[in-house]
Amino acid sequence: MSQNQPAIEVSHLRKVFHIPQRDPGLGGAVKALFRPRYAEKVAVDDISFSVPPGEIVGYIGVNGAGKSTTIKMLTGILAPTAGLVRVLGRDPHKERVANARQIGVVFGQRTQLWWDLALVESLNLIARIYEVEPKRYKELLEQFSYTLELGELLAKPVRQMSLGQKMRAELAATLIHEPRVVYLDEPTIGLDVVVKEKIRAFIKEQNRAKGTTVVLTTHDLGDIEELCSRVIIIDAGRVIYDGPLATIRERFGKYRGITFETARPLEHPLTLPPGAEVVGQEERRLELRFDRTRASASQVAAAVMGQLEVLDFSLSEPDLTSIVKQIYGGALSEARPV
Amino acid sequence: MTLRRLLSRYTGFSGMAAKEFLAYNIWFWMNLFTSAVAMTIFVFFWKAIYAQADQIAGLGFQQTLNYVLLAQVIAGVGESGILWTFGYQLREGRIALELLRPLDFQGMLYAFSVGNWLTGLLSRTPLLLLALLYGLQPPADPLAYACFAVSFFLGASVMFFFEWMLGCFAFYTTEVWGLGVTLFAIQLFFSGTLIPLDMMPEGLRLFAQILPFHQIVYTPVSFLAGITPVSQAPQVFLGQVAWIVGLAVASRWVFSRAVRAVTVQGG
Repeated sequence: MSQNQPAIEVSHLRKVFHIPQRDPGLGGAVKALFRPRYAEKVAVDDISFSVPPGEIVGYIGVNGAGKSTTIKMLTGILAPTAGLVRVLGRDPHKERVANARQIGVVFGQRTQLWWDLALVESLNLIARIYEVEPKRYKELLEQFSYTLELGELLAKPVRQMSLGQKMRAELAATLIHEPRVVYLDEPTIGLDVVVKEKIRAFIKEQNRAKGTTVVLTTHDLGDIEELCSRVIIIDAGRVIYDGPLATIRERFGKYRGITFETARPLEHPLTLPPGAEVVGQEERRLELRFDRTRASASQVAAAVMGQLEVLDFSLSEPDLTSIVKQIYGGALSEARPV
Repeated sequence: MTLRRLLSRYTGFSGMAAKEFLAYNIWFWMNLFTSAVAMTIFVFFWKAIYAQADQIAGLGFQQTLNYVLLAQVIAGVGESGILWTFGYQLREGRIALELLRPLDFQGMLYAFSVGNWLTGLLSRTPLLLLALLYGLQPPADPLAYACFAVSFFLGASVMFFFEWMLGCFAFYTTEVWGLGVTLFAIQLFFSGTLIPLDMMPEGLRLFAQILPFHQIVYTPVSFLAGITPVSQAPQVFLGQVAWIVGLAVASRWVFSRAVRAVTVQGG
């Protein structure tokens, strides 16, 4: 492979599912038996992007946006309806086995490990399947044991592991053959902050040391901030943003929300510190947004409390869903580098 | 890539079968217990029948006893469980991960089944001892043992490919319970686990011999029980190899169609 060939290339990718339709009740079931009807669902609609070797790209979008469908087409287990996919120069669906040797995949909700056996048995088998040199395998096992703190997990059957332990085990299993391209589908889902940190550090380290190309899907903005310099946001099967994370962070990451519950409805306009503004108002609820670089939470809270009797208040980080909604609403269209 | 290296990538799965088997020791003891009970019932059943007759369908008491004891020792060992494996993998969405391994999917599961057969046979040693206590008279000819071993592995392979084809239905229905239970009942009867094929009425016996099920119990056991003479072995093996070749080709074709249902429609 030449130096400037992209690790992943996707052009005009499309995937349409045919979903069987049936009327409710027994009558509908019988009718569907003789005359099946199908509805078309466009899961991925004309997606194009390319990822250079060694990049970590965040592939994000709300549930049902088409993330997993894209990942499945990239791994080769799903055939595209139209369009082109090339991973390290290969068609992953037509050359499934050859492609599989070069890639690693983590589906956050599933496991490739042997449920009833000690982790080390699964790792030994995987090393054998991928023909990892015994000496190299030993080295990697030591490294992984250290960074992922596998120590006592190696002898433990997977079914007895906690969620966080399972994910660390899964990552070790996925990267033990040193794949050149790795797909991580929600690798930190349901994990606590400490484990998340470990996993992010591990991914970063693998990428830095080996130039591994990583495609990461997640709902956790922390993962993106920590790992990705570039994000691709998709919605309803289309790319709605492809560019640096910095742009998004500037636009949305600097704002925090603060919500007050007040004793009485607001009667006169509030005087607020610079950078803060009211974004929503109900009878005894007040939603504010402030620019973190210009005001602090305590300044905003103090200002409001000085003018109103506050019963309760809460702070919030903007979540991915609301960012995507805003982008979809056109808030970023002028900043779009496409 | 040398053949040895290629094989080693697959035989890892055979080893996993043994390790997985050993992970369930309560299951092992339960299985041994129920098999021992079944064997005991069979011994008394056939003793009662032979109290009325010296020969049934040309088989004397000792021959039948040998057959029935050995059939009980290996009952179920040659099954591959492919149907249940497919059902489980499709229901749990695990098939995607298995297809992502850089190996031939069928080769991988075949290697796993070979491991299961070997472990299964070894795990039945206590039952063999019990059978000897019940009066099993093993043959003196070492060739009979060799014929048993060869025809057992060939027969189990035949059933592996046969069940593989049935298992492909799961890709369309994602439900295998009904098919699995039916298959179990048919297999129990037509494999010759309950009675030797020789005792079936002519028509039924012919039908049983057309079906592949007898190859995992009747065919191998009849060598040890002295029903099929060793001299017929080449003919038997040849027939089994023909089954394997035919079913292997057909099962791969059916699977490639079935897997398309998942990879095109999404799992």
